[in-house]
Amino acid sequence: MSRLIDTGLKKLSSLLLKMGDLTEKTILLSFDCSTKGLDQFDKVRVYSETLISSSEEIEEKATELLARYQPVASDLRTIRSYMKIAYDLARCGRYAWDISFIYRRFNISYDECALPWLPLKDMMNEVERIIHTCIDAIRKRDLGLVEKIGEIERKIDKMYIESLNKLVEQPPIKTKCVVADLLFVRHLERIADHATYIAESLEYLITGQRINL
Amino acid sequence: MEGDMMSFKVQVESLNAWFRDRQVLKKINMQINEKAVTAIIGPSGCGKTTFIRCVNRMHELVPGARVSGKIFLDGEDIYAKGTDAVKIRRKIGMVFQKPNPFPTMSVYDNVAAGLKLNGVKDRKRLDGVVKESLKSAELWDEVKNDFDKSGASLSGGQQQRLCIARALAVEPELILMDEPCSALDPSATARIERLMRNLSKDYTVVVVTHNMQQAARVSDYTGFLYLGQLIEFAQTRAIFENPRNKLTENYITGRFG
Amino acid sequence: MNKYTSRRIKNLVMMTLAYVALIIALIPLASIIIETIARGASAINLNFITQETAPLGQVGGGIGPAIEGTLLLVGFASLWAVPIGVLSGIYVAEFRDNIVARTARFMNDVLSGMPSIVLGIFAWIIVVLVVGWSVIAGAFALGIMMIPIVSRTTEEAVKLVPGTIREAALALGVPRWKTTLTVVMSSSKRGIATGILLAVARVTGETAPLLLTILGSRFWFAGLTEPTAALTLTVFDLSQSPFVSVDLPRAWGASLILIMIILGIYIIVRYLTREKYGR
Repeated sequence: MSRLIDTGLKKLSSLLLKMGDLTEKTILLSFDCSTKGLDQFDKVRVYSETLISSSEEIEEKATELLARYQPVASDLRTIRSYMKIAYDLARCGRYAWDISFIYRRFNISYDECALPWLPLKDMMNEVERIIHTCIDAIRKRDLGLVEKIGEIERKIDKMYIESLNKLVEQPPIKTKCVVADLLFVRHLERIADHATYIAESLEYLITGQRINL
Repeated sequence: MEGDMMSFKVQVESLNAWFRDRQVLKKINMQINEKAVTAIIGPSGCGKTTFIRCVNRMHELVPGARVSGKIFLDGEDIYAKGTDAVKIRRKIGMVFQKPNPFPTMSVYDNVAAGLKLNGVKDRKRLDGVVKESLKSAELWDEVKNDFDKSGASLSGGQQQRLCIARALAVEPELILMDEPCSALDPSATARIERLMRNLSKDYTVVVVTHNMQQAARVSDYTGFLYLGQLIEFAQTRAIFENPRNKLTENYITGRFG
Repeated sequence: MNKYTSRRIKNLVMMTLAYVALIIALIPLASIIIETIARGASAINLNFITQETAPLGQVGGGIGPAIEGTLLLVGFASLWAVPIGVLSGIYVAEFRDNIVARTARFMNDVLSGMPSIVLGIFAWIIVVLVVGWSVIAGAFALGIMMIPIVSRTTEEAVKLVPGTIREAALALGVPRWKTTLTVVMSSSKRGIATGILLAVARVTGETAPLLLTILGSRFWFAGLTEPTAALTLTVFDLSQSPFVSVDLPRAWGASLILIMIILGIYIIVRYLTREKYGR
């Protein structure tokens, strides 16, 4: 039996999925910008701003549904989770934007700074993986992927600690590189964090349990 | 087990009820906490009114009605052989869907009815009880200058509060409310809901409602009845945030009923 | 002519017919009252109402004993018939599905259709043949007539009390019998009172049962086991008198008093059944 709230929930869901796809796109583009020196920073900026306004739109729509329909149980958890996930996706977009001109702003290049013993490439791959898995999990509402996301995050975390240590022990010659690399791994780690928040919201949406990955 | 039973105000064990040969309640087991509001929700015909009437032994007044099982009020089975139903009803107050003050009695007499009809004559005592009850029912200020006014001349919301005062006057162990706000407008409803929460500081309240939002607003515990069975019973916040049973989830999100 | 006009004409015709029928129906009542007042008013004065009755044909005296007799007979009849009628009416209303209740209601209906002369004969056999022509016999006969009326109206009045009122009392822990006697009764007070008054009015104007029970008398009340006068019986006797010029006006006067009493009762009933707070 379809209910009044279903239309609203569908709209919210489609907005969120669009955001998810855009987030993935933004991150991939930002990686290319920073590592390959692609001159697409403006595009990344626009994507990021779109993500922020999308999350605001989702928040507004969600609030409207709360006010009008007094939803309970799974509906309530869905709306609550969507609001959080939208915020987390927007944060990821914001970090992606920073990442896109991280080397550019200091007038250095990725190639100069990316020393072979820094796991930057691996981290980027894992971040791509974690974001992709997140979006997939949201689309399919797949609880199984939540654990996987936790695993990937732990990997990224390890690599982050490793990077910090290496930057202290065997830093690149240019100070600018040290700063840029540091910021880079920091942002990557933060994106991964937000990805786990998204996974936790998903778990709450589906099972009602609040977990900490 | 004996010790456990004492900590709940009402303990329902394997309650079954019939109207002639139609079974309306099926093996209900429930524990009602003291000094809390418990809401019973469910679609029409699920047996929630019958349930509440079994608790004060009013169900058996209908010709052809039958009950089996036990209900312990403060540890004593009200359906035990030899128990006087009239005495049980004196311990339990009931408020009905449509406010039903005695039409030929004044406000004062209505509130005092329970006591007067049971033989209390001491004027001072009656005055005291009437005042306390009207205050607890939040009706005192509106009638204190005019006790002799007929009970039926009050507004709907006031009449319902009068009925609540009447129920409180006999100092019940338990207060049962059968959809008390169905016949009232939203602001009268809001007043009664607030009153229910205040009453729960001193009394155990069980309210039957078909309005889920009301159950969510007003109660500490909620029981979901469907086709005569208790499907789920839990703290209200748990039921409305994350119900365990799919049927409960479908009902409270409006997917049926 | 279009549909609307033809409907208006039809409406007018029907309304006129209805009014005419109404007037025709009122004519007998109006003419009785007018005739009685016209012919009886002259006979009424203080003496008429307060003095003992003179023998037929003799001038002077009054119908005081008849008035007293009617009041006493109706009073005594009510004394025993009203409690029985009210209690049986309550029983039938409260236990309506009971076989006893259903039988009682049926017997009640039969009794209310009984010809009053038959009740008179019954009273004659049961009381008069034992005690003689007496007030008791008259009160007995009138009482039997009153019971079905009081019982039926009480039953209807009690049935009108909404179940919710009963439930409220029961939920307070008031036993069933007490609920009936207090809450239900007080809510149906009006209806019961009306029923009693209607029975009284009916019985005040009865003649046949009295013909066979009280004999009639020219004197004031002499004792329960003694004969007595009554207005209806007096009207009958006076109208049969050969001394037409003396007694016929008295008959009209007695009739007028009788009608006034009965009318008075109906006015009280109307007052009691008025809408209390005017809708």
